[in-house]
Amino acid sequence: MTFTRTNVWALGSDWADAILWYARGVAAMKARALAEPTSWRFYGAIHGIDQPLWKLLGYLKSSDAMPSAANLSRFWKQCQHGSWYFLPWHRGYLLAFEANIRAEVLKLGGPNDWALPYWNYFKPNQFKLPPAFASADWPDGKGNNPLFVPQRYGPNSDGDVYVPVNQINLDAMTDSDFTGVGSGGDPGFGGVDTGFEHGGPTHGRLESQPHDMVHGLVGGGDPNNPNLPGLMSDPDTAGLDPIFWLHHGNIDRLWQVWRQSPPTDVDPTEPNWLKGPANIGERIFSMPMPDGKSWDYTPTEMTDLGKLGYTYDDLSPAVATPQPAARFQRLGMSAVAAEAMRGGPAVTIGKNVELVGANRGSLKIIGSEARTSVQLDSGVRRKVSRSLRAAAEAAAPERALPVAAPDRVFLNLENVRGLTDSTVFRVYVGLPDGANPADHPERLAGSIALFGVRKASLADGEHAGQGLTFALEITNIVDTLHLNNSLDVDALDVRILPARPVPETAQISIGRVSIFRQGR
Amino acid sequence: MTPAARERLSITVPLLLITGAAWTILVVGPGTMAMPDGSSAATLATNLSTSRGMAVPDLCSAPTLSATSFSNSRHLRLAFSLLASFAASWMLMLTAMMMPVLIAPVRHIRDRSFTKRRARAIVLFLTGYAAIWIAAGVVLLTLAAAAPLIVSRLSVALAIATFVALVWQFSPAKQLCLNRCHARPELSAFGLAADLDAFRFGFMHGSSCVGSCWALMLLPLLVSRGHVAAMAVVAIWIFAERLDGPMPPRWRWRGLGKVVRIAVAQTRLRLQNS
Repeated sequence: MTFTRTNVWALGSDWADAILWYARGVAAMKARALAEPTSWRFYGAIHGIDQPLWKLLGYLKSSDAMPSAANLSRFWKQCQHGSWYFLPWHRGYLLAFEANIRAEVLKLGGPNDWALPYWNYFKPNQFKLPPAFASADWPDGKGNNPLFVPQRYGPNSDGDVYVPVNQINLDAMTDSDFTGVGSGGDPGFGGVDTGFEHGGPTHGRLESQPHDMVHGLVGGGDPNNPNLPGLMSDPDTAGLDPIFWLHHGNIDRLWQVWRQSPPTDVDPTEPNWLKGPANIGERIFSMPMPDGKSWDYTPTEMTDLGKLGYTYDDLSPAVATPQPAARFQRLGMSAVAAEAMRGGPAVTIGKNVELVGANRGSLKIIGSEARTSVQLDSGVRRKVSRSLRAAAEAAAPERALPVAAPDRVFLNLENVRGLTDSTVFRVYVGLPDGANPADHPERLAGSIALFGVRKASLADGEHAGQGLTFALEITNIVDTLHLNNSLDVDALDVRILPARPVPETAQISIGRVSIFRQGR
Repeated sequence: MTPAARERLSITVPLLLITGAAWTILVVGPGTMAMPDGSSAATLATNLSTSRGMAVPDLCSAPTLSATSFSNSRHLRLAFSLLASFAASWMLMLTAMMMPVLIAPVRHIRDRSFTKRRARAIVLFLTGYAAIWIAAGVVLLTLAAAAPLIVSRLSVALAIATFVALVWQFSPAKQLCLNRCHARPELSAFGLAADLDAFRFGFMHGSSCVGSCWALMLLPLLVSRGHVAAMAVVAIWIFAERLDGPMPPRWRWRGLGKVVRIAVAQTRLRLQNS
C-alpha cells in the first residue's frame, strides 16, 4: 500500500476525516505518561528537551517519572540541525511518528490508509494556520482539542497565527548542490558535511528557509514574557506542537520535489552520509515504534520515498529551474551567445570561498532596527568585479570549452547569539541613504529566524557558545550593483529589521557581518 | 568528496605532515634534545642533582635563583643551554602531540580571514597558543623535575600523578575546559584588531587546552623508560576526547569511546568496499 500525504487545505473541510483522525491519534499519545516511548511528550523529547523550559511551560511536572536511562540515551535529543543529516533524520522521525498515530487510528476503528496531511503555506491563501489547530474545541464544540496549544503566538506574538508569505521563500530549491560549506559560501540545499562533529553553526538552505522561518513565525514569543518562546520557536519544545508535524511534512515534500530534477539535484553519495552518523562515531537514528520495538535507520534508507511506501498529492516543481545562461545574459552576454549556451558547453562553478569584507565589532540587535557597514577589501572586491565582467565577455560557446561561472556572493551573519529563538528579522544590503526598505525588495538579502539560538549560545551547550551563523546569497544584489556601476565602493551598508522590536533582555547580537565570494 | 571535506583536507594535510615530522624527530632524532638520555625530565633532574651537583629546581624555578648559583660562568652557560634545550624539547613535544587537535581552530582562522592574511593569522594564533603552553611547560617541567627530589622513588611520583590525572579526567572542571576548546569566536578582519583577535583566540584556545590536558601532559614527563611511547598514548587520548562535542560539566568518564566507534565503523566500511 502507498500512503498519500495530502495538503491540509485540500482536504475539503476544516475538520476533514484525516484531521479528525489525526486529532484522535494525538489525544491518545498525549494520554500516555512521559516515560512511555510512544507518548506524545516522549516523541517531543526525541527532537529536544530542556527540562527547566518544559517545566516553565507546564509540560514537565516533578511528579513525572522519567524514562529508563537506556531509553533516554537511545532516543532523546536526537534532532539533527546544522548538518547534512537534517533531511533524512526528520524524514524518519516523521515516518515513525506517523506510524504511531496510524496505530492509534486503527485501534479506534479509523482507515488503515490514514496518512499525515502537510501544510503548504506557499500556496495562495493557505498561509493561515489550519482552523482545526486554531480552535480550543473539538468540532462538536467541546473543549480540549489536542491540536490546539496555547503557546502558539504567531508572527506578531498576538495569537494570530499565520505565515507572512513575504518572509519566506523557496530560494533553496534553486540550489543544485545538496551539500556545501560552512566557511562562508553556499551551505547547500541540504546542509553541511560536518565531519566527525554532530552539527555545526550553519544551517543548510532549506533548513534556514523556509524551515527555520516557519518555526519562528508560527511559534512567536509569549507577549507577556518575550524571552519565553512559543513551542514551535525553540527546537527543545517544537515537537510538542501538533502543527510541527504538518510543517515537517511540507519540508519533507520539498526535498522530494527537489530530487526530481536529476542529474543536478541529487542526494550525496558519500558513505558518511549514506550510512549516517554511526559511521562518524555518533548515535544511530532510532525511533520507538507502536509494537514496542525500536526502528533504526540510515539516510540511505530515506532516499527513496516510493520504496518507503509514501507519496505526496503534489510534487510539482516549486520554482522554475534556474538557467545558468540567464545570469550570463543579465550580466551582459549577448542574447545569441546566451541562447547558444543552452545545451552547449558546461558551466564550471568555482568552489573557492574567500572573505571579501567584514564590519568592525559585534552588532547588538535592539529595538526595531540595527545597522552596520561592511568594509570591503579592494583587491578581493575587484576580483568579484572581474569575474562578473568576464561573464559578460565570455566567448561564443561554440568553442565547446567550459565557461567559468561568475562568482556567487554570500552575506554572512556570524556568531549570532541570544536568548530568544522567536526572533525573526529581515536583512537588507546596499540600501540607498534614507530609503524605506519596503520600497526596495530587490535589496532584501533574506529573512532569518533564530531557531536554536538559545542553545547555541550556551557555553556548555552543543555549539560551545559560538551561536549560529547564517549565509544569505546576495549574488543578485551584487550583480545589480555591478551593472549599476555601484560595486566599486569601500563599504556596503547592511540594515537589519526585526519583525517585532527586540527587547534588550533578549541579548541578541551578531558577532560579525561579513561578505564572502565563491568562485574560481 | 564533499566541498566541506575538501576544505578540511586543506588544513588537515599540512598539519599532519608537521605532526609526522615532529614525531620522526622524537623517535629517530639526536638524543631527543632536552632529555639527553632519552628519558624524562624527572630522570634528568635526578641525574643532574646527583652527578653535577646542581639542583634542577634552581634552573627551572625563578624564585629560587640566586646570584651565587651562577657565580660560575660554566654553570651559567650550562643553565642557559639547559633552558634552551628544555624549551626546544617542550615545543617539539607540543608540536607532536597537539597539532592534530588544532586542525579545527586553524580552519576557523583560515576560513574567516582574508586570503592575504591567512598565513599571518595562523602564525599569530599559534603564537598565542604556544605562549600559554610555554608558561604551563615551566610549571609542569618544574613539577616533573622536582618530583624525584620530593618523593623517594619516581614510580611513586608517577602513581600520584596518575591518580591526579584520573580524578581530573572524571571531573566537571575538565569538561568545562574541553567545552571551551570547541569555541570558535568571531574575528576582526582588518589591521591590528585582526592580529590581536588571532593572537587572543590562540591564547584563549591554549588556555582551555592547558586546563583540559595539564594532568595528562605531566604523565610522560614522569616516565623514565618509554617516554616517547607514553607521549604517543597521551596524544591519542587527547585527540580522541576532543572528538566528542561539548556537554554539560559533570562527573563522568571521558576517553576513547568515539574514536573507537569511528575506527570500527570506518574499518567495516573499507572491508565492505574492498
